[in-house]
Amino acid sequence: MLQLDNIRAGYKGTEALHGVSMWVDAGTIVSVVGSNGAGKSTTVNTISRLVTTYGGRITFEGRDITGLGPAEVVDMGIIQVPEGRQLFGPLTVAENLRLGFHRQRRVKNREAAFRDKLDYIYDLFPRLKERAGQRAITLSGGEQQMVAIGRALMAEPRLLLLDEPSLGLAPLIVEKIFDVLSGLRAQGLTMLLVEQHADEALALADYGFVLSVGKVTVHGPGVELRSNAAVTSSYLGHAGAA
Amino acid sequence: MDKFSVLLFSGLTNGSVYGLVGLSLSLIYGANRVINFAQGEFVMIGTMSAILFMATYNLSLPVALVLTLGVVLAMALALEFAVYLPLRRRGAPPLTIMIGTMAFAITTMGLALLVWGPNQLSVPNILPMEPMTVGPLITNWQQLAIIGAFVAFLGLTWFILYRTSFGLAIRATGVDPKVALLMGIRSDRIVRFAFLFSATVSGLAGVLIGPLLGGQISIGVALTVKGFMAAILGGLGSPFAAAAGGLAIGVAEAMIAGYGNSLYAEPIIFLIILMILFVRPYGLLGDFEAARR
Repeated sequence: MLQLDNIRAGYKGTEALHGVSMWVDAGTIVSVVGSNGAGKSTTVNTISRLVTTYGGRITFEGRDITGLGPAEVVDMGIIQVPEGRQLFGPLTVAENLRLGFHRQRRVKNREAAFRDKLDYIYDLFPRLKERAGQRAITLSGGEQQMVAIGRALMAEPRLLLLDEPSLGLAPLIVEKIFDVLSGLRAQGLTMLLVEQHADEALALADYGFVLSVGKVTVHGPGVELRSNAAVTSSYLGHAGAA
Repeated sequence: MDKFSVLLFSGLTNGSVYGLVGLSLSLIYGANRVINFAQGEFVMIGTMSAILFMATYNLSLPVALVLTLGVVLAMALALEFAVYLPLRRRGAPPLTIMIGTMAFAITTMGLALLVWGPNQLSVPNILPMEPMTVGPLITNWQQLAIIGAFVAFLGLTWFILYRTSFGLAIRATGVDPKVALLMGIRSDRIVRFAFLFSATVSGLAGVLIGPLLGGQISIGVALTVKGFMAAILGGLGSPFAAAAGGLAIGVAEAMIAGYGNSLYAEPIIFLIILMILFVRPYGLLGDFEAARR
């Protein structure tokens, strides 16, 4: 579904990815793990076309998207849940969710479609229904992550990119978020998950890539990577020991 | 009471125009973080076009209004295509673009000088300017029309921002343009809307305030400064706060000039604004801007 071929990319002339190749098959969860500064977020933002690409090719469903802009990629159905949630703080929860629906602005019976989608999100995260009228900034970290994921799902993604969804959340909340993600996979959603919590991310993933200093060092099925001694010791570090 | 009423209406009238300029500045700032230093020139061109079409060419009011609107909209597109977009494409930061809008303002004034000359021209009034009494208050139709336009544009802005999907996209871009992009919202369209809508607001304000201010090509600068102060005093993050700031400045200006000394009105007002900003650095109603941080 998504294919990165030998991607070189970075910010303002500094190359952060030095020839990264990876792929995501439809209906699967792919995890990208690695330490801080390995280029995980750069990878996600390259796919979202927020980062300058110096070389290589990105194809999505057979179409070359390397030359497209961020909004065009969103229109194709590649939706990102950004690192640190990045909600519209002064806007309400309901407004944040409606903004996610922006991609669907040209569907028939827009209001009815919006209501359906909103009901689906509120089923998934009942807490958000209670908080619908509150400013997003007043929510707890876990609730904010729910809004961020809900907002992305409102766009009806074909491919969901998640950048560190567990960042700064309590372990119990992280577990909940991962439960939701595994539920979404059961519904057939394709996901690319970038995570520092490598152990949990690989447990959930069908396939995984380990990123180190802008290069893919190891890749393979999630379970295999998780038990790979080299990966455990060098990249999972404390997670493997815990 | 009579004096108070006259001063109040004169203040509300000027304040409405400052407020509409402030609202315009705030809308554009929300879309692209640029203060449009040419905004007052849109008011000036509105005033001067009214002279051109209504007095010089003697056209009927509806035709003159449509043509005036055409002029200010063309001017907004010129600002967007000749200044904003070329700079943006080259990666210019907002500060550079602000200097670009200043250059546009000065160029506009220069061109206006060629067309209308340096002297003050009388501007035809659309509505009667004879004093009339409304209960205990003294005003005239021209003043009421300006205040009415202020209320109407505020209402229209509120409706667009809070009752339409496009308005939600405008507000989202105001909070964080990069995340708005992740929603698939193209800020270019919002910027264009902000330029065109602001030009309409300011241009019509110019047609209405012209008979009271007098038609002179230099009126734009002062209006830009006061509109900017209005936006800062109210809170730049919200067009309504900016508009309220304009009313406050207009009324304060009239009262200080009327009961004190008109020479000192401006320094006193700016001093008061400075004091207020010491206490509320984001403006009187600026919680929106503060919440963003």
